[in-house]
This record gives sequence, structure tokens and C-alpha cells, in this order.
Amino acid sequence: MELYHVELLSAALFAIGVYGVLARRNAVMVLMAVELMLNAATINAVAYAAFLDPGRLVGQVITVFIITVAAAEVGLAMAIILRLYRVRATANVDEADEMKG
Amino acid sequence: MMEWAWLIPSLPAIAFALMVVLRRWLPNWGAILATGSMAVSFALFFFVFADWFGEKSFPGDYTFIYSIDWLRAGDAVLTWGMWIDPITLTMLGLVTAAALGIQVYSWGYMAHEPRFTWFFAVHSLFAASMLALVMADNLLLLYIAWELVGICSYLLIGFFYDRRSAAEAAKKAFITTRVGDVGLLIGILLLFVETGTFELSAIFAALANGELSEGVVTGAALLMLMGAIGKSAQFPFHVWLPDAMEGPTPVSALVHSATMVVAGVFLVARVFPFFEASDTASLVLLCLGAVTALGAAAMALVMTDIKRVLAYSTLTDLAFMMLALGAGSVTAGMFHLLLHGFAKATLFLGAGSISHGSEQTDIRQMGGLRRRMPLTALAFGIGALSLGGLPPFGGFFSKDEVTLAVFHGQQFGWVFFIVALTVGFMKALYMGRVFFSAFLGKLKPENEHAHESGPSMLAPMLVFTTLGAVGGLLAFGWTDGYGGFGYFVFAGDHQEGFHLNWGIAGASTVLAVAGFGIAWLAYVTGSLRTEGIIARVRPVHTLVANKFYVDEVYQWTIDTVVLTLGNAIAWVDRALVNDVGVNGPGSATSWSGSKLRVVQSGKLYSYALGMVLGFLALAVAWWVAQ
Repeated sequence: MELYHVELLSAALFAIGVYGVLARRNAVMVLMAVELMLNAATINAVAYAAFLDPGRLVGQVITVFIITVAAAEVGLAMAIILRLYRVRATANVDEADEMKG
Repeated sequence: MMEWAWLIPSLPAIAFALMVVLRRWLPNWGAILATGSMAVSFALFFFVFADWFGEKSFPGDYTFIYSIDWLRAGDAVLTWGMWIDPITLTMLGLVTAAALGIQVYSWGYMAHEPRFTWFFAVHSLFAASMLALVMADNLLLLYIAWELVGICSYLLIGFFYDRRSAAEAAKKAFITTRVGDVGLLIGILLLFVETGTFELSAIFAALANGELSEGVVTGAALLMLMGAIGKSAQFPFHVWLPDAMEGPTPVSALVHSATMVVAGVFLVARVFPFFEASDTASLVLLCLGAVTALGAAAMALVMTDIKRVLAYSTLTDLAFMMLALGAGSVTAGMFHLLLHGFAKATLFLGAGSISHGSEQTDIRQMGGLRRRMPLTALAFGIGALSLGGLPPFGGFFSKDEVTLAVFHGQQFGWVFFIVALTVGFMKALYMGRVFFSAFLGKLKPENEHAHESGPSMLAPMLVFTTLGAVGGLLAFGWTDGYGGFGYFVFAGDHQEGFHLNWGIAGASTVLAVAGFGIAWLAYVTGSLRTEGIIARVRPVHTLVANKFYVDEVYQWTIDTVVLTLGNAIAWVDRALVNDVGVNGPGSATSWSGSKLRVVQSGKLYSYALGMVLGFLALAVAWWVAQ
């Protein structure tokens, strides 16, 4: 397994995430797509650390941080989505456009 | 006692503050605060005077200086203090006496006015600021007091502010004097820049040590002279004084005798070392004095309103004082200031008594009033004879001092001497004219109801009459410690006693008698027909009666030059500063916002797409840059 295999995997994951964020309307789906993009980034971090700087664990440490922050972010985002659903009776992000200029 | 001299201006100022704050709760006799504080100040003056003589050695100069630090800014220390020298003492005596007397008079004269208390309040502040002005030991304090005098004169001249002419006259007085004040301020700042201090003692020391260049000395003297001629209503700033007659008569009396207009003369006397050091400034002073004296005396001869005649006679006498100062004699200038103050207070209180008792202000409508108001006639007559310069009244001595000083003047003495003699003759002529046509001759039927004024008006008038009549005695040294006015008020080492130059005194007396004689022939016996003389010099008479068209020239200048320039500047301000400079960024922000608001769609995917595209653009840019 070479480095570029892992890079391809993470690029594919990231592209799927971008697609999800842009194309999905349900807020829960958008959130899951964001999580995919975060995971693509963590795969990159671990892969580069393992292949290019094997002796140290910098990438792995960063990954742990990203996972922690992502967990917190999910908690927050789910709370927002729940409130949105309570108020609008839908989790469709297209309809939450009160802030338009 | 002298350390407490600051109470003299402070008491009337405190009275002012109390009267303004408590106005709603004070009964009408609240004005007693003003008169009471003035009386205490007047009494304090005698203590300070006696104390000063106690510490002075004779003959010699003595200046009591007492000052405290006010604030420090870097190296500059601003002080706040008193400077008590003979000039200050003369002014303190004159101002407290005049203010007190005129306030007592006002109790009768202003009795039926609404805003009675307000009148006394401002009157007090007026006196207080003048007293502070004459006691100031530094130019900054002097300037503050100077401006206070200006604002009080504005308030009092415009006392009848519901009358348009009074409001206009107040504005005219304020703005005209302001023009001069700008000069004074620049002069003071120039001295501050050069010496780093406002204190008179330090500035005079720098001058004496030659630390100031000749140009600075002349420039400072001329700039301060500009302020002085503004306040003292000398040509070309004389236009405000005759209009200031719109104020109540007691105000005119105070303005003309002791405060406001003499402030300019006082200022020149105070900074006299500068004029002594600069021949140019002295010559300018002499020329302005001569022009004003001749022009104002001519105008006084043709005016028919009694207060206007007196106003122009004040201009003449102020110009006389300026002549004396320009010729280098502080003694003569201050002596004339003092005696003119007494005489002019008498005359204005007399004029007020006439208009109070007969409601006439035009001397052609008066005549024979001595039958109805004998005491006013007596007071006015003595005042007129004194100011006209007849011996043995006070005005004769001071006029003689001035004429003599001008005769001995360093620069073109004989030219200004002839001017002084001519003006002396004209003074007698117009004083005779106003007195004779008001009080002698037949009583007009419409004046049958005229009546003498009450005691509160007569008493101060008669006191000033007495002072003006016997004031000439101050010229002589009656006691060893005094030695005469010349040993009391003097500049540098010019102290000398009073001495009569019989030739000059004789000539000026003959001219004064001739002036009164011609006035007698013209206005009492009628053997000299004034109409005939006027017809023969019609163009000149028209010119003088229209005040040399100076007002018209100023009006034209304001209408064309000032307003055109003002409109141009206003256009620049509106079009460039306001529309482009201020409104420009605002409207640009607003416009761009209205164009950019469509970007904010509120749709999540459009923001996400923006982020992705932006990231791609950055990536491409980075790649290209590599």
C-alpha cells in the first residue's frame, strides 16, 4: 500500500462529502456529509504521519483532536437541527432562509 | 489687606451668580445684592488704597504682585493673580465709584422695568469683569476679563432685546469689538510664543532686557492696539459706540465712563512699555487718535439726539487719551480717563434724568428745561463745562495735561498739538450746544409736564458732578506721600508734578471760552444763525451728519465682499466637504450594499458552493504561483 492509495481514498471521501453538502436537503444528511469530509481530513493526517514521519505521532494526535471536536460539533448541530424541526416541522435546509439579504 | 484685593471683583461676580441662580425666588429688591456687594467693593478699595500707600516709598514706583499657580502644562505655568499699581488703583477707584453710583441711580431709573433683577445682575458682572481686567497680572487673565466685559456689554446694550434696533446694536457692538479682540489674542499669543509666559512682569522684563526683537515688539504693540481701538471705539472700529445708545441710559453711563470703552485706553497704559519701545506703534496710536478726535468731534457737532452727541464726545475724549498715550504720557492719559469718567457719568445720568422726566431725547425738542429740573440742569451744566475744558473744573486740568503732553511729544508734536487745540475748541462748542439748547431758552409747551427726578437719581448725579468739578485738584501734590497725579501714575521714570504752561493753558482756555461763546450766540441769543452756516457748507454737513458714510462703507463691504466670499466658502463646504467628503463614503457603502445583498440568498447550499469554489480558486492560485 502506497501513500497515493490512501490519498485517493481520502480524496474520494472528501468529494462525496462535498457532494452531500451541496446536493442534500435534509439537514441530518448535510451533517453526515460534513462528517465524511472531516474523516477524509483525518485519514490524510494519519497517512502523512505514518508514511512521511514514522517516528512521531503528530498526525495521530491531531486526529484525536479532530474526532473530539467533531463529536462536540455533532452534539451542537443535532441540537440546532432538533430546534429547527420543532419550529418549522421540517429539517429541510432550503426552507431555513430567514437570513437572506 | 492687599492680599484680599481679589475680593473687589469677586464680590460683584458672586452677587451676579446668586442673582441668576436665585432669580425665581428673589423678590424684586434682590437687586440689593448687587448694590450691596458693589458698596462693599467700593469700601474695600479704600483699604487697598491706604495699604498700598503704606507700603510705597515716595517718590518712586511700586507694584504689588500676588499670584498663585493655576495650572501647569509642560514648561508653561499659568498663573492667576493680582497686579496692583497706580494705574490699577486709579481704575479700581473709578470703576467701583461709577458702578456704585450708577446702580443707585438705576434703582430710580429702572424701577418700572420688567427684568429689573436681571439688569442689576448683569450690571454687577460688568463691573466685576472690568475690575478683574484692571487687576490682572497676566495677559491671559486680562483677556478672559476683556471678553467678559464684551459679553456683558452685549447683554446690556441688548437689554431691550424685543426691540429690533437694540438687538442689532448689541450684535454690532459685540462683532465690531470681536474683530479687534482677535488682534489682541494674536498679540498675546505672539508674546507667549516669544517669552513662554503670560505674566506681565516676565514679559516686561524680557522687553527691558532686549530679548524681544524690534519686529516682535512693534507687532505685539500693534496687535494689542487693535484690541484696544476695538474696545475703545477708535477709528475704524468706532461705529458700534453711537449705536450702543440703544441700551438703557445707566448702561450708557457705565459703558462710557468707567467700563468697556476705557478698557482699551487702560490696555495701552498697561502695556505701555511696548509703545515706549516702538516708535511705529506710537505713531499709529497718535494718528488714530487724531483722526478719531477730529472726526468724532465733527459728528458730535451735528448730531441732534442728546445721547448720540454724548457718545461722539466720548469718542473724542477717548481719542484724546490715546493722543496722550501716543505722545508718551501715561500720566496725562490716565488723568483724562479719570476726570472724563466723572464728567461723562454726570452727563449721561443727566441725559437719563431728562428723558425720564420729559421723555425727550432730541435736543431740538428740549429747551428751557432748567425751569422744570433745576438740579439736573446744575449737574449737567457743570459736567458740560468740565468736559468742555473751562477752568477751574476738572476737565480743564486733564485737557491741559493732554495738550501739554502732546506738545512735548517726540513725533510730529506740533501737528498733533494743533489737532488737540482744535478738538479742544470743538469740545467746548458741542458741549455748549447740547447744554444751552437743552436747558436754556424758552420752555416748549409740550415739555410743561416735565419734572425733576427722584432723590435716588439726583444723589449719584450730584456726587459725580462734585467729583468732576473738583477732581482737577488731584493734579496737585497735597500730601507728602502723594505729590500730585504725576508722581502717582507715571511710566518709567517720567514722574513729575503738575505744572502749568501758561501759554498753552491760556490758548486752550481762550479756545474753550470761544467755543462756549459761539454756542451761546447760536443757541441762546440766536444772533448766530446756524441754518445759514449749515447752508453754506451743505456738502460737508451732509457728509458729517451721515457719519462720513463709514457705516455705509462697512455695509457695502459686508454685502459684497464678505457675503460673496462667504457664499463661495459655503459652496465649497456644501459641495466638496459635505456631499463628497462626508456623504460620499456613506452613499458608496449604501449603494454597494444594495448591489451585494442578492449574494445573501439564505440558502445553505449556495454558501457551501461559495466556500468550495473559493477554496478551489485559492488552490488554483497557489498552484499557479508555484
